[in-house]
Amino acid sequence: MNGTSQPIGAARRSTEFQLVFMAAMITATAYTLASLGKNSVIPPRILPFLAVLLLVLMSAHIGVRWLAHGADSTLLPVAVLLNGLGYVMIARLSERLAGLQTTWTFIGVACFIAVLFLVQRVNDLARYKWTFFFFGASLLLLPMVPGIGFSSGGARIWVSVGPINFQPGEFAKLALALFFAGYLSENRELISAGTWKVGRLNLPEPRHLLPLLTAWGFSVVVMVGQKDLGSSLLFFTLFIVMVWVATEKTSFLVIGLGLFVAGATAAYFMFDHVQTRFAIWLDPWSRYEAKGFQIAQAMYALGSGGVSGTGLGLGDPTRIPEAKNDFIFAAIGEEMGLFGATAILIAFLLLIGAGLRTAMRTHRPFEKLLAVGLTTILGTQAFIIIGGVIRVVPLTGITLPFVSYGGSSLVANYILLALLIRVSDSSARGLGEVPNTATSGERFAVRRAIRKSKQHPDDQDDQS
Amino acid sequence: MNSRIRHLALAMIILYVILFVQLNVIQVGRKNTLDSDARNTRQTVRDYNDPRGDIRTKDGVVIATSIRNESGSEFEWQRTYPKGDLYSAITGYFTFAYGATQLEKTQNDILAGRTVEQQIKGIGSLFNGQNTTGSVQTTLDSRIQQAAKDALGNREGSVVVIEPSTGAIKAMWSYPTYDPNLVAVQDDELAGDVLRYLDSMPGKPLLANAYQERYMPGSTFKVITAAGALDAGLINSESSWPDESEFLPPQTNDPIQNYANKVCGGDLAEVFRRSCNTPFARTAIALGPQKMVAIAQSFGIGEVIPFDLPRAVSSQFGDVDYFKENLPLLGIGGFGQGNTQMVPLHMAMVAASIANNGMMMKPYVVAATYDHNGSVLRRTSPTVWKTPMSSSTSALLTELMIGVVNEGTAKCCMALANGIQAAAKTGTAQLNAAGEPQSSHAWMIAFAPAQAPRYAIVVMLKGTTPEISAGTGGTLAGPIAKKVLDIALAR
Repeated sequence: MNGTSQPIGAARRSTEFQLVFMAAMITATAYTLASLGKNSVIPPRILPFLAVLLLVLMSAHIGVRWLAHGADSTLLPVAVLLNGLGYVMIARLSERLAGLQTTWTFIGVACFIAVLFLVQRVNDLARYKWTFFFFGASLLLLPMVPGIGFSSGGARIWVSVGPINFQPGEFAKLALALFFAGYLSENRELISAGTWKVGRLNLPEPRHLLPLLTAWGFSVVVMVGQKDLGSSLLFFTLFIVMVWVATEKTSFLVIGLGLFVAGATAAYFMFDHVQTRFAIWLDPWSRYEAKGFQIAQAMYALGSGGVSGTGLGLGDPTRIPEAKNDFIFAAIGEEMGLFGATAILIAFLLLIGAGLRTAMRTHRPFEKLLAVGLTTILGTQAFIIIGGVIRVVPLTGITLPFVSYGGSSLVANYILLALLIRVSDSSARGLGEVPNTATSGERFAVRRAIRKSKQHPDDQDDQS
Repeated sequence: MNSRIRHLALAMIILYVILFVQLNVIQVGRKNTLDSDARNTRQTVRDYNDPRGDIRTKDGVVIATSIRNESGSEFEWQRTYPKGDLYSAITGYFTFAYGATQLEKTQNDILAGRTVEQQIKGIGSLFNGQNTTGSVQTTLDSRIQQAAKDALGNREGSVVVIEPSTGAIKAMWSYPTYDPNLVAVQDDELAGDVLRYLDSMPGKPLLANAYQERYMPGSTFKVITAAGALDAGLINSESSWPDESEFLPPQTNDPIQNYANKVCGGDLAEVFRRSCNTPFARTAIALGPQKMVAIAQSFGIGEVIPFDLPRAVSSQFGDVDYFKENLPLLGIGGFGQGNTQMVPLHMAMVAASIANNGMMMKPYVVAATYDHNGSVLRRTSPTVWKTPMSSSTSALLTELMIGVVNEGTAKCCMALANGIQAAAKTGTAQLNAAGEPQSSHAWMIAFAPAQAPRYAIVVMLKGTTPEISAGTGGTLAGPIAKKVLDIALAR
């Protein structure tokens, strides 16, 4: 709001520039090492590769510099580092997929900039909460529509429209987070007040709970109808965490856990594949032939990596099933060892930290809840899949954000990142760290109003 | 809401710390368990897909090498054995699913370039893509090895040629054997079928019979009894034995007979070259169980042969307590019958120790190992394993063995080309009990030239056919030994 606060934004952007540059260098070095390890040659197109890499990452950085000047300086660099390391691993596994992943990265970064440009006042999104609700719900149900939805790898989570295949669930999670943030920021007092007495319990009015229960119902539908346990768990966690943070009532956490246990138990007895997953989690070795080999191979890969890893390009990650996708963390653990795998964990913790710090710094409830929701998605999704790969929790197929191969996942996560950065920038404006100048959209509106008034000076005279 | 967000942050940190702990458990704590899990084929695949250095004979013939597969095949490299079955007992095979044997197994780290020394020397090659595989040079002589195979033909048995002064193996061949190219195939199932078939065949082709099996040695064992008795002072070149066809040892009514029940006797040179049995039975019993067993032990009998190929076995004689109760068996053990069992390689080493002034060298097949640049990593230096006899005894035994060649049981067949004098001892190991069909192993141990020995040899034919069982060590094994020694000495 005043001249002396300007350097904070500039300092953040300069830090971000340096960090993004370092992420690009780390990616290019890792790419070279992987090629040396695998084929014993320095990649012939390493300089064009580095140039394109810097071009893409720097456009994202310039997008932030231009459109979100006050945002946190670590979110973008950490995300592009994860994307870069994931790309190196995918390129090392399959050159064809590497080409596709490059395209997805371009599209992801373009969407990132587009969202920053289109959503300049994030609080405005609260108004569209019902749009997001129906949008998210339809996306979730889309794979079950005959004709366009189809199964792959056991889960019916794909949609095919013309030449494009995508996983709508990746985008649905964003829409649901936006809906929850909008709805809860508006109704959180009513929900937490609990005016409906059932015995000794004070429960919220059913009509206030209904939308939330509907959303929870969708996560059950996803689990039952699409056999997508990972996404279901993710939606459910998102739902519980956001309600808990919004209402500040621990009872919701307890009720949520109760619902989860009930749902999980019911699912266990109703579905064979849930029982199989659970049994494999407990003991993959004796069920080696029955899909246990997936986990077993991931264990072998991690074990052969040891502390320092086999070295990029020198391991044997092609033996891990779905190494490019669900199991990419095992491939990283094999070739980069405990050090590399821990670096991935730390990167996600940094993202979570930056996301939650953003949530705490902003004062608007919608922005707070949105930041909590988006961060919960990132942190939980990474935990579910990493934990599944290393047998902390039963394995549920889901992508590792920014790292796994996949267009829907990458694009959705870049949009998620753009929203987080937008909230972060908004909090910096709110705290007066950067001037709360008019956004380009607002300036355009003002200019149009002025032009209008110049074209019709008489109207103005009349009014005055 | 901020306090809840702090709790959320704490919960997330705890979740990720759990992930970190579990990563440590897997990648550090359980690493060895995982690496050694039977279903974990990572190391094997890595070995199998790495280029691999050559194994050569001393004279430079490549006996195991890797060739690059056509692109598109499952594995990049294919291990081949250019000489087929000729060196299978030395190189062994290298497979994906069934592991490796022989030098392919023991020298694996060198061949794959994985020793620490090779890794350090090969650091530069990380950047130019050069292989850092090592190679192994064996002690074998391709001409002698081929001669051994040709001379033995399709009779079951073993031939080992050894350099007496060093213990270097110059040839080691046994029949039946197998072609490792049939095993080192890309198709795991086929490889498994071939191995199971070979395993079920009589004659144990998968085993290197020359050093992984033991057989009754017959009269070749008399050199050991004689050496021990001479060193003990029990007998000398002047000793003589009565003419007799049989001898009744204590503790029995069943006399010990000479071969074909012949009347046999005379001085040491005579009973040795005619291979009389009773003098050696009397000598063994006179030495007594304690001394006789100690003599066998001084030759390394009872110990696993210290060989640089895997799974060598030990020769056997018997123990003191047993012989105290069974003196007749000690008597027939004195001429290599009864419970006496010798590994063919060990008999070659016995002959070599006589040729080497009484010193028995450790046998070896790896002459040297080389890194990818051809500089030596390790060279085997000959070492003495046992000193079973004095040099004067070895000199006397040499004279006795010359007598066997010139006037004794090997007179028929051991006159070497170019008038080179050989020293030898024959053996015909009776396998059948009285009344059963004739069955015997035919043996020959020898070295040449007798006064400046360059090669010691054992030839052993298994008594599996009537033809072999009807013959003697001299008539059957002798010509084989002569052929091989003639080729070995023809330079």
